[in-house]
Amino acid sequence: MTPTLRSLRRCFEGAVPATIATCAADGMPNVAKLSHVHFVDDEHVALSYQFFNKTRENILHNHHATVEVVDPVSAAHYCLRVEFLRTETAGPLFEYMKARLAAIASHTGMSKVFRLLGSDIYRVLEVEAVPGDVDAEFPSRANLLSGLRACQNELAGCAELARLLDAMLEGLERHWDIRHSMLLMADPDGRRLYTVTSRGYAESGVGSEVRMGEGIVGVAAGGRTPIRIGYAVQEYRYSQATRQRFAASADGDALETEIPFPGLAEAGSQLAVPLLLAGRLLGVLLVESPLEQRFTYEDEDALVVLGGQLAMCIDMVSRNSESPAEPEVPGAAAEPARGAPVLIRHFPADHSVFVDNDYLIKGVAGAIFWKLLREHTEAGRAEFTNRELRLDASLGLPDITDNLDARLILLQRRLAERCSFIAIEKTGRGRFRLKVGRPLQLSLAAAL
Amino acid sequence: MPRTEAEPPLLDAAQAAFLAGPVAINVASHDAARVPSVARAFGCRVSADLREVVVFLSQKRSQGVLDDLAAGAPIAAVFSRPKTHETLQLKALDARIRRLAEGDREIMLACGAAFSAEIMALGYSESFSRALMAPAVDEGIGIAFTPVAVFEQAPGPKAGMRLEPKP
Repeated sequence: MTPTLRSLRRCFEGAVPATIATCAADGMPNVAKLSHVHFVDDEHVALSYQFFNKTRENILHNHHATVEVVDPVSAAHYCLRVEFLRTETAGPLFEYMKARLAAIASHTGMSKVFRLLGSDIYRVLEVEAVPGDVDAEFPSRANLLSGLRACQNELAGCAELARLLDAMLEGLERHWDIRHSMLLMADPDGRRLYTVTSRGYAESGVGSEVRMGEGIVGVAAGGRTPIRIGYAVQEYRYSQATRQRFAASADGDALETEIPFPGLAEAGSQLAVPLLLAGRLLGVLLVESPLEQRFTYEDEDALVVLGGQLAMCIDMVSRNSESPAEPEVPGAAAEPARGAPVLIRHFPADHSVFVDNDYLIKGVAGAIFWKLLREHTEAGRAEFTNRELRLDASLGLPDITDNLDARLILLQRRLAERCSFIAIEKTGRGRFRLKVGRPLQLSLAAAL
Repeated sequence: MPRTEAEPPLLDAAQAAFLAGPVAINVASHDAARVPSVARAFGCRVSADLREVVVFLSQKRSQGVLDDLAAGAPIAAVFSRPKTHETLQLKALDARIRRLAEGDREIMLACGAAFSAEIMALGYSESFSRALMAPAVDEGIGIAFTPVAVFEQAPGPKAGMRLEPKP
């Protein structure tokens, strides 16, 4: 039986070098090792174009080549008869291959040598199993399909955003044994993503930001493509130095760098899945493992499906979060604030807020927080609705409901982590309460 | 052009030792329509005068390459050491298909074992490393050729450089 290309995906993990044979204009064959054969779909593979070498010279002349790939578990060999179609130098496939090549390069100590110039797309004309190999099927680690079903079931039971996002990461751990994960939402400015929840890290990193196009999350978001790498790779890691460099870049809107990004310092495997809905990028799911080659093509398939489901759920619960607002739940009478007044300073330039000289948050969440505190101290208000925030022109919120919801979750969690006497409590759909346990002294810092 | 006996051999002793070491070997040729064929080889022997290289193939796994070479097509063979990425490619205008000679079977087994040990040390599993070289016990066949060109192919700026014999 002729194997399908899809059934050979394990061969395309980059664990065992492949071999390509081509033929020159004068009829002389050429044979070379390949670091990376990329599965595109059932009829196409892509090869990385890194140097103009004999293989490339030949393939531009005679489009036919034969690629031998090796299964990294069974050592079974397969010959792919391929035909060169075109070279891509931008776009999702190119970004994905660039990331994977960087991972392989880093793993093999070739970072300075490997650089992707293009993705060469080939049509696969024939797949031939080399005789004599027995390709034993190895049971997958966890049953992905049943895990997918269980995760999806749990998402479907969530009526509000914070619960939904947590259920997602809890489900990944419970059903797929993925212990390090985080969700980042896209800022409507299209230039950054912010962490709204995480699981499995010493510090939650909620509120930390990454730049679009930078690191595995930023590249997955910018390219709108999942990116899966099976080795520790420097180029796609968020070192504090990198973030500082970007933070310092003079583009007028500084990146959040006070809050460290929560990722594993020594991730062996990473998989970033963009959350897309109707052409809009909602955010990115990042999963990690200290083990190398932890995530397979099948894991990627499953997480992309689940990511699509999550994107729809995010949209649904966010739409429901405002209309109609549930009637107010009468709360217990607010406890009077006690103790010495706490100084809260707001810097309008970037909406950063400091509590007792400790940094809390900035940006949109900072602006929301400042508005809530002002209303609280000036008018004694404690009950608020999402809708009034969204309609408040001074906050400049775009007309995207999931963004506001996510900002409120971020604010709520930063407070829970960093401030023991101020809390935000949901009181119903589209409603929440600001609880303040100490007298506040608000100070608007002069613009510098 | 074929080299005459008056010319020095293309390979030097160090290169010959490299070819016979723990290297992955793949050979390629092409059919009448110039569609390339490729197969893995299991071991290599270089003649004492450094002029002839013999690589060993598993007959049942290499039918395409063997057919193409039998039809007189040229051959390319790449030798790559996983530990160092050091890579050489040899080319010849034709190849001679030979039964295994005395001692060739032992070379196949020894090369297979050495390569398995090398990649295990790099972190590949024992089961994979042994399975990769298991065909070394298949019914083998020798492919002898006289290199007309040697290329340095380790990844990097020198990749593809044609190597000339040292004076």
